Amino acid sequence: MKWFGLIATVFTGILLLSAVPDFAAFGDPDSPANGGLGDHPSVSQYYITDTYTDTKVPNIVTAVLADYRGYDTMFETVVIFAAGIAIFAILRSFSGPVAPSHPTAIDTSVEGDHQRIIIGTTCRVIIPVIQLFALYVVAHGHHSPGGGFQGGVILGASFILVALAKDLSAALGRFSEKRYLALGSVGILIYAGFGLLCVALERNFLDYEILHRIMPATDPIMARSHSMLGVEVGVAFTVTAIMFAIYANLSSKGRLEQGF
Amino acid sequence: MILDLVAILLIAAGLVFFLGAAVGLVRFPDFYTRMHAAGKGDTLSSLLVVLGFALHELRHFDGSADVVVFLKLLAICAFIMLTSPTSTHALMDAGYEDGIEPVLGEDGENALTETRNRRLKD
Repeated sequence: MKWFGLIATVFTGILLLSAVPDFAAFGDPDSPANGGLGDHPSVSQYYITDTYTDTKVPNIVTAVLADYRGYDTMFETVVIFAAGIAIFAILRSFSGPVAPSHPTAIDTSVEGDHQRIIIGTTCRVIIPVIQLFALYVVAHGHHSPGGGFQGGVILGASFILVALAKDLSAALGRFSEKRYLALGSVGILIYAGFGLLCVALERNFLDYEILHRIMPATDPIMARSHSMLGVEVGVAFTVTAIMFAIYANLSSKGRLEQGF
Repeated sequence: MILDLVAILLIAAGLVFFLGAAVGLVRFPDFYTRMHAAGKGDTLSSLLVVLGFALHELRHFDGSADVVVFLKLLAICAFIMLTSPTSTHALMDAGYEDGIEPVLGEDGENALTETRNRRLKD
């Protein structure tokens, strides 16, 4: 069986590498991706020249990701959600005691866990800043590098930091299993909801322009911009939840109790 | 001009401390002394280098964008100062709880004293 895997990997690798000479050279102005085919201008040229007039979003990467290729990003989010569900299905075991549902404060008292006083104090100072920055990265994804995936990872990492600084139950008290599973699905629902809303208004799936009818004080162009923010929030929800879910399940072998 | 000079001095000093941290990381005998070199050297050198960058951004006061970058770099300095020593402390703590032995001489002295005495004899 091992040999079969090796042969399959080598065979696929050779197959993929054999296609490399067919690629256009990097930056080749005559390749279809850069110069277009015949009289048709290329799609990358279109993105560079027309993104701002189409969507009023200065960050082209975000516009391509969340608007022009919204399908792709939606199913990327689904892939992340599926990874979280797979971890849950493989690792989660229900034989241990039930995890607490109320937050326990990070112990910074000298009498309590005296080695933790430095780490606990620093984390109490730094975690709100991290979470605020995560929200900034999500909300500012149109204008600067960032967006739902990056902001979601930072937000998830802040909960992982709680688990590292105190213990897993302190983090689970703030972000319980019920909540992260719900939040992970809600994120995808938000994304798909934006698409279905467009369908309900008799346009294509994820064709945001029509949403100006239900968004107050927007025109079709700004509707695209605002809808991008909306789907980015959905992506951030899913990524945050799944990041923390993967950490919680992996670090405790699926028991969701303190374990190393 | 003066700001440029100060910035270059700060960055150069930071690089010297980076070198010290790297040498210490390779040359020191055990976990604790290595973390000592990495933690202290890394914190100070990154602080100096980022402060140098911040001053470099302040050269001309005509645009407000430079000041924003300056403030962002100062914020990075503050976070490095907060987090880097804490992470060093956390690693030390974890090593101690894991029972990693420090290198000690026979009478509890640091192993480096032994080396130094031997060198003095030769």
